[in-house]
Amino acid sequence: MVELQPEDMKDIQGFVMSGYAHLPCVSYLLLSVNDAPAARVWIGQILNEVTTSEGKEFISCLNVALTHHGLKRLGLNADTLDSFSRPFIEGMATPHRSRILGDSDENSPENWDWGFPKDSDDSEAVDILLLLFGKDELTLEEVINEHRARFDQGGLILRRALGAGRQPDIHEHFGFADGMGQPAIEGTIQTRDAAPRNVIRTGEILLGYINDYGKPADSPSVSPALDPLHALLDVPAMDGAGKGQPANSGVDRPAKRDFGRNGSYLVFRQMAQHVAKFCHFLDEATRTPDGQLDPKAGDRLAAKFVGRWQNGAPLVLSPDADDPALSQADDFGFRETDEHGFKCPIGSHIRRSNPRDSVGPDAGTALATANRHRILRRGRSYGVRPENRRIDDGVPRGLHFLCLNADIERQFEFVQQTWINNPVFSGLDGEVDPLVGNLSKGDEIFTVQADPLRRRVHNLERFVTVKGGAYFFLPSIRALRYLASL
Amino acid sequence: MKQTILTFLTKVNSDRVSELTMHLEVMARDVENNTYIPFTDLKLLHFASLVLNDDPDYGAYFAFENNFDGPLDPYLEDLYAHASEGLHKIYSCCLDYSAASAADKAAMLSYLRARVVRPNAYHIGNVGRSVERTHREDVLRDSLEDFLDGLVRQGDSGSPASIRQKVQAFVRSQPNLAWAANVEPRQTTMEHFLPRLKIVIAAIIAVLLLPLLIPLAIIWLIMLRWTETHEPPPPDLDVNVHVRNLVAREDRTHIVQNHMASITTVKPGAFRRRTLWGVLWLVNFIARTADKGKLSGIPSIHFAHWSMIDKGRRLFFVSNFDGSWENYLDDFIDKASTGLTAVWTNTVGFPKTSWLVREGARDGSRFKANARDKQTYTNVWYSAYTQLTVQTIDNNSAIREDLFTSLDEAATRDWVRRF
Repeated sequence: MVELQPEDMKDIQGFVMSGYAHLPCVSYLLLSVNDAPAARVWIGQILNEVTTSEGKEFISCLNVALTHHGLKRLGLNADTLDSFSRPFIEGMATPHRSRILGDSDENSPENWDWGFPKDSDDSEAVDILLLLFGKDELTLEEVINEHRARFDQGGLILRRALGAGRQPDIHEHFGFADGMGQPAIEGTIQTRDAAPRNVIRTGEILLGYINDYGKPADSPSVSPALDPLHALLDVPAMDGAGKGQPANSGVDRPAKRDFGRNGSYLVFRQMAQHVAKFCHFLDEATRTPDGQLDPKAGDRLAAKFVGRWQNGAPLVLSPDADDPALSQADDFGFRETDEHGFKCPIGSHIRRSNPRDSVGPDAGTALATANRHRILRRGRSYGVRPENRRIDDGVPRGLHFLCLNADIERQFEFVQQTWINNPVFSGLDGEVDPLVGNLSKGDEIFTVQADPLRRRVHNLERFVTVKGGAYFFLPSIRALRYLASL
Repeated sequence: MKQTILTFLTKVNSDRVSELTMHLEVMARDVENNTYIPFTDLKLLHFASLVLNDDPDYGAYFAFENNFDGPLDPYLEDLYAHASEGLHKIYSCCLDYSAASAADKAAMLSYLRARVVRPNAYHIGNVGRSVERTHREDVLRDSLEDFLDGLVRQGDSGSPASIRQKVQAFVRSQPNLAWAANVEPRQTTMEHFLPRLKIVIAAIIAVLLLPLLIPLAIIWLIMLRWTETHEPPPPDLDVNVHVRNLVAREDRTHIVQNHMASITTVKPGAFRRRTLWGVLWLVNFIARTADKGKLSGIPSIHFAHWSMIDKGRRLFFVSNFDGSWENYLDDFIDKASTGLTAVWTNTVGFPKTSWLVREGARDGSRFKANARDKQTYTNVWYSAYTQLTVQTIDNNSAIREDLFTSLDEAATRDWVRRF
């Protein structure tokens, strides 16, 4: 059975272990491969610059991820390409995926700024995502320039540079502290401060390791004949057929090299936020009976949408007012504190995106089930804060939502489909996530449970639109080296 | 009110598979308005599906799944009255169909009757709720929700008891809601107690026959374990292409409901066949008492059924369920892995199992890959209420059933929370 070893940290890209909170300036460069041999040489050149998970702090960091199209362009063999997971192979913009992700109407892929391939051989398709982080604007600019200068020779074309500049604080544009409520990967230092209920198996994020089913997470592999230099690790002889017993049970499965081990799938969605629309909605929805604005009630309703107060305190622990002492609180359930949603509405964003102990026959089963669908979020806000939140200044702003998981279908897509966009989530009837759900069909509602009688907020609008997205694979250093050697 | 679950299972004339496929394609383009079978006119029908499966060994089969109110005869009459032309076109593609025209009612109906497959085991989520009642109670719920919105807007909610009184007064004031007061029982007393009585009787018989059953059970266990350890391991499956076809049809109803049909080959030999038959018998025995909306803790199944076909050599499974396929299968793994392992371990491709119920489906990834591999494309699927879950239907019924009953304070509070 494969377990995470200290030396694996040298092989795992740093983005898995850290969101680099100490580096406030970010640029995501979307590249197409124009010349495969040159691009492979380029990968070999940047290999030593890729930040790993060893935990050293740098003034700038670099990570790299690839789409399926990109791996194909680089010349990865067909069998290995087919051994990736189906969502990654197909990409984010298929019709079925649009239905489950809520990408219809304005959100539909043909309206995206990027990530919608014109056809399967689209030469302008996004192949590579280069993630660059800097401690300040100047550092980042230098790093970007340094890399841009190498694209030409590296056979790469820069399609789009998505900036995510310095923000005044950790709040996203609607005003809420972001980034709490993360799972911790078993076997890493992330578990040090984590509540046991938030610890997930290594194979939930990193391919090749044991996942929540007690089986090795599915991982793309390479036939040994195609890896003569033995750049990759072997797929362990034990596998999923039975715990600790040879899977083969008499049947010979050919030995394979593990291309996926220490890698992870990276989901990227660019989500524009319409701050003025959001604020206006809250204003109108909370006018007093005599028609006056009630800003406090607006803040309260926004907190009900989110499930946390602006500074992060969860409503289940602090239902009446924000409590700075609880801003990082994450060791709580919903069933034990607020079964009926009187504090934190059933349909609130944090309850939908991770229902914890609340959806299932009992708390234990519910938590075990919910934890099978966790994602490691690595998002950043982009665009400057508006000077006046109630005036639409036309400046693009939003969230670059990035997350890591080992099984896109069971994790990211499940969260979107079964929780966020599910109109009948947890006994609700005809409503979706008030923040990021697919709000499109006329009178969209949000129910605020209360004792004795619930209140329904009507006519929600689409406060967030999807502007682009793609599924990437964040390979291990070994896998990158293998790609460079093709 | 009893519901009936059955499938008309026919073999397709091999020359006419593509013609039938074409008919089904046309239907699928706009299921609710298709001209072959105008489903929405069939007032007894909850869910229906049309599945064409072309198997290299067994040839092409066509399954027309029906879940409807009442017994077969009135439904069949209704079906003929509304869909004779379409059925004639469809069944003209099938083997041994002899009706010369759609007008030949006797020939068509006797053909269908002769091809009814009743499930070995089945589950109904909303026991005793007819299609009509389901729709009505949903309308009631919607109008009460709107009425309550009005109370909230006026800042006039008050105690649970006063809210309830206002709701009652509102319903009384609406002539078109007058029906709500006459609550029909979901099941007759007999329907409720008979399955439970049967279990008690079966348990008594089992105890009496214990001296006989114990040696039989030991022999069966030895055979089971021997079989389990000598069967080849399931193959690694690459289901990507197949799944791509399947998902093209999924999650159409704003992802509230989905349909799944699968055909699996029972492992060779009489032992597995008989074991499967016995397990399904037991599942059905227990499922008959599952009248609270849940099957083994799974709260999201409207109608599901298992039928052994081809003299027990294949297992046909159909389910009309709430939510995503992933969620449904997760529910199976988390809440019902014992039962479902006991069923499907007798079929080819299922993950390695020990003692009939251990391991098996708990190997989540393999279990899901195999479930996808055996899933067959649902050509046409109809639901009479695409936006309602089993839980919503139950909640709507509970709201209506307790509308005018006398409730104590706690029950009144709970009733108001149903909104």
